[in-house]
Amino acid sequence: MSADGRWTGGEMLAVAGSLQVHDGDVAVIGLGLPQMAALLAQRTHAPDARLLLEIGVFEPMPTEPSAGIADPRMWRGATAFGTTLEVLGVMAHGGRVSLGLLGALQVDPWGSFNTTEVEEADGRRRRFRGSGGGNDISSNAGRIVIVMTHQARKFAETLTFLTSPGRQVGDRSRADLGLPGEGTCAVVTDRCVITLDDHGATLESVHPGEHPDAVLADTPIPLAVPDGGTKETPAPTARQLAFIRNELDPNGWYTS
Amino acid sequence: MSTRPDRVVSLRELAAGIPDGSHVALAGFAITRNAVAFAHELIRAGTSGLSVTQVFSGMETDLLVAGGAVDRLTYASGSLDRFGLLHAVNRGVATGRLELIEYSGLALALRLHAGALGLPFVTTRSMLGSDLLAPLVAAGQVEQIESPFDGAPCLALPPLRPDFSVVHVDVADRAGNAVVDGPLWSIPETARASKVALLVAEEIVDVGELDPSRVTIPGSLVHAVAHVPRGGHPTAVYGRYDYDAAHLRSYVAAAGTGAEEHDAYLDRFVRGVSTFDEYLALAAA
Repeated sequence: MSADGRWTGGEMLAVAGSLQVHDGDVAVIGLGLPQMAALLAQRTHAPDARLLLEIGVFEPMPTEPSAGIADPRMWRGATAFGTTLEVLGVMAHGGRVSLGLLGALQVDPWGSFNTTEVEEADGRRRRFRGSGGGNDISSNAGRIVIVMTHQARKFAETLTFLTSPGRQVGDRSRADLGLPGEGTCAVVTDRCVITLDDHGATLESVHPGEHPDAVLADTPIPLAVPDGGTKETPAPTARQLAFIRNELDPNGWYTS
Repeated sequence: MSTRPDRVVSLRELAAGIPDGSHVALAGFAITRNAVAFAHELIRAGTSGLSVTQVFSGMETDLLVAGGAVDRLTYASGSLDRFGLLHAVNRGVATGRLELIEYSGLALALRLHAGALGLPFVTTRSMLGSDLLAPLVAAGQVEQIESPFDGAPCLALPPLRPDFSVVHVDVADRAGNAVVDGPLWSIPETARASKVALLVAEEIVDVGELDPSRVTIPGSLVHAVAHVPRGGHPTAVYGRYDYDAAHLRSYVAAAGTGAEEHDAYLDRFVRGVSTFDEYLALAAA
């Protein structure tokens, strides 16, 4: 929640995530917060972003909230239905996807991420969803943006499980591994925007009401501060907030 | 005048044809187009020791695991979208009762594609550098190779040929030619890869009534089809019915509480009825 209650952390996350989607991107998007960010971008600054779902849906323009990518509401307005081999294979593996917009349980300093399992305080492993198409998207897309809520335990030098490779794995670059694309270029949370390049991760901006030092303290991976200091993420506009509240997520499933 | 085969059987006959220990490929996706009626019937039949392959696992597989029918699962992911996780699957993995083999979605779909075409192997760069790779290499299911043409690192994946596949389709004719509306994820590869392709259909029509242009799965690949209207409930079937949100929530509440509560759900909704129509009446009550 912003300091004066004008928007929630989830709304801020959706807005900041949406700004990572460029007009003209061909983007495969994941379940939940990535859906919010991608659809917000599509309805605001990136009307020519082409969204794809691994279930085999091309360019949907849904008009009501959905429970995920397997919810037929999310497929409304699609231009074509096809197969996973077409979306993850022809489009992503075939080099036709410029952006993967995905969620994560855990991220490392090079933007590799985990969607498989986490280790609980008692040492037991708790399983979540697995890769699905996440590994295929991150292995093959031009660039990757991760959107997730900000908790210190989600940032780790070593992942519990490396589901999807980022810019490098260990000391091996994507090119060494045999992977195309640049890998993860941003991690957007409900507190900040972290950008990544081949030198590492940078605390690019913190959201309004956040102090960079407080965010750094809750982000236990090496983070550079840009020349001129960490900026403030642009605040959500009235138009963005209205779209989220009235159309995208009126029940607050993802952004409350 | 030639005659067409009649491949229509009852759901009970369809399920009874699956021996214990079979490798069964399922084709639902999370909360959509799951062969729930078929899963119920297998649980009632007491089928056990199955190896299940499903690229994006959903409720049908979670039910079968909860019902004790499955020893091994090969998947790329599993969830019920925002309704929750596959609790029986995750519990089975945590306790060691369920062996889990994980791929990326494309890699598993490619293995089915190779099985369908009878290819010796397929190749991909997906999974390179990830933790998915090492256990698959150790199990002899994947080999890291270099392209014989340009030396690029890539993976060799063997074909996958499940004994059976089960797809919940919209319309089938009596010879098993079937139409699936909406997105198809890995349905075509799943049906084509299996040695015996089985269908559950919302509607059955006579041969000749389907426009061949619309057929997703040719009857030439299909061995039998059972007629079960609303057989995907509580998952959605595109263009026909929505998922039943209240039922999914109560399912996840039971499944997520513990194995005992999950079993109580099965006692009530699966073992406590003798047909899927009885289940539908109970679920609507």
